[in-house]
Formats: sequence, C-alpha cells, structure tokens
Amino acid sequence: MSPWLQNTIFGVLALLAVVSSLLVVTRKNPIYSALFLIVMFSTISGIFLLLDASFLGFMQLLVYAGAIMVLYIFVIMLINPREGDLPPEGGFTDKGVAAGIALIVFSLLAFAIGKSEVLAQLASSGPFPARPLPSPTHGEIAAFGLELFQRHLLVFELASILILVGIVGAVHLTLRRKAGAALPESSEDAPDDAGETRGRELIDV
Amino acid sequence: MFSITTILYLTASLFCIGIYGVLARRNIIVVLMSLELMLNAVNLALVAFGRVHGTASFAGEHSGQIFTLMVLAVAAAEAAIGLSLLLVIWRRWHSIDVRKLSRMSG
Repeated sequence: MSPWLQNTIFGVLALLAVVSSLLVVTRKNPIYSALFLIVMFSTISGIFLLLDASFLGFMQLLVYAGAIMVLYIFVIMLINPREGDLPPEGGFTDKGVAAGIALIVFSLLAFAIGKSEVLAQLASSGPFPARPLPSPTHGEIAAFGLELFQRHLLVFELASILILVGIVGAVHLTLRRKAGAALPESSEDAPDDAGETRGRELIDV
Repeated sequence: MFSITTILYLTASLFCIGIYGVLARRNIIVVLMSLELMLNAVNLALVAFGRVHGTASFAGEHSGQIFTLMVLAVAAAEAAIGLSLLLVIWRRWHSIDVRKLSRMSG
C-alpha cells in the first residue's frame, strides 16, 4: 500500500473516530450513543488493520462491535427508557467543569507526547508505515496464537478465569428470586414506581 | 501523517472525550459507554507501540497485541458486570441517573 493511500485512510479513520466519539458522549438518547460507538469501534478496527494487527482488528470487530454492543443495545431495549426516564443532563457549569478537566488531561498528555525524546527518535528513524515488520507473519493468527499459547499461557488462563467470574457475577446479580423460592420469576415487567419496599423485596433473597 | 505521534495524539483525544463523557453525563448507560471508549483508546496506543517496538521487546513481537487482547477480555467482563448492575439499579430505583446513586444508602 502506498504511503499516500495509508495516510489518507488513516486521516479519514481518525477524523471519523473523533467525530463519532464526540457524538457518543453528547447524544441524549442512549441508543444513538450506542450506534455511534459501533462506528467508533469499527474505525479503531480499521486502524488496527493499518498497523498490521490483522487478527486483533477482526477481534475488535467481533468482540466490541459485535458482542459488547449487542449486549448494550439489548439492555437498552430491555429497560426501554422513555423520554421522562432519561436523567436531566447537567447544566452549563457541570459540562464546563467536565470539559475543563478533560482539556487539562489532554493538554498534559499532548505536552508529554510533544516533548518525548523516545518518540522523536522513533519518528526520525524512518517513516512509520514503511518500518519493516518484525517477522513476515506479524499479526497473523498463527504467529499470534503460538506466542499467546507459549509465552503468555498463564495470562491467557487468568483471562479465562476472569471471564468466568464475570459470567457468574452477571447471572447472580440479575437473577430475580422471591424469598424462599429457588426459581427465577418471570421477568417481563420492571416495577413502575420507585417504591423502596418493592425494590427491596425483589433484590434481597 | 500516519506516524506513532499522530496515533498517540488520536488516542489522547479519544481518552479525553471518554473522560468528559464519564464526568459530564448522568445517564449510567452513556457513562459505561464512555468507559469502553477510554479502554479502546488505550488499546490503540498499545497496538501502535507494539508495532514500533516489536523487535526490540524481549517479551516477543506480539506482546502489545496480546496485552490488547487481555484488555478486550477485561472490557467484556466489565461490560457484563456493569450492565447487570445497571439492570439491578433499574429494577430497584427505576432510574438510570447517577446522581441518585451518589447517596450510598439503601
């Protein structure tokens, strides 16, 4: 791929990522935020492909844009918040304080990136996309899997335990039980008032 | 244009947009989505550094990508737990407003 094409694709993807993530945090309706988040995940996946991380790029699409976003959209449709249920967003001061903190963090990060000597060395040692690959099979699933299952096997197993704990925790949290009953009741309706007693009876076992 | 520095500026801006979302929004769903946004920004930085330092690293050429895969696993677990907490909160208070949760009393 020619450097010009690579630059253009990266520029478009980066612009799309920033715009869609801004839309994620500013839309009032959470379903729009979720859809823009899918766009953002897809652009990140494209940048992974540009960085020769082909397996990870497809993993990003599968896990983030596929599995996790389906989970989010499913939950949004399950609780089905109406217009009145959406919390009132903060006023100008709240947003201003949040934007100020975010800008301070960004300026610190940008200052560090701009001053970094390691990065300057890296940038001077040759154009980034033309940098030779560590190996011809870099980022492909076979080489990636060999390294994952040889050097990093323990981390992989720990991740599986983490996901198992996550599954058990999610099931335990959302299981609805009445006092004394072992089976979950039908979960078709959410309580339509914020009554504390009814809530407590639903949650506590 | 397509350099490690540009990618790092992109990740910094995405991360800070995520910070803004976590701090400014009161909708729990959007706060969780902003967390995913921040995790993704970090993933991008890890992959970019892995691409640059691949040969120099003693831990193997794919260590940055494997780190990202682990972040992906953590993000999946976090999304599952966070959304089930959200469902419990919705059932109990019929609200997705973070301010109502700040009292820390049942």
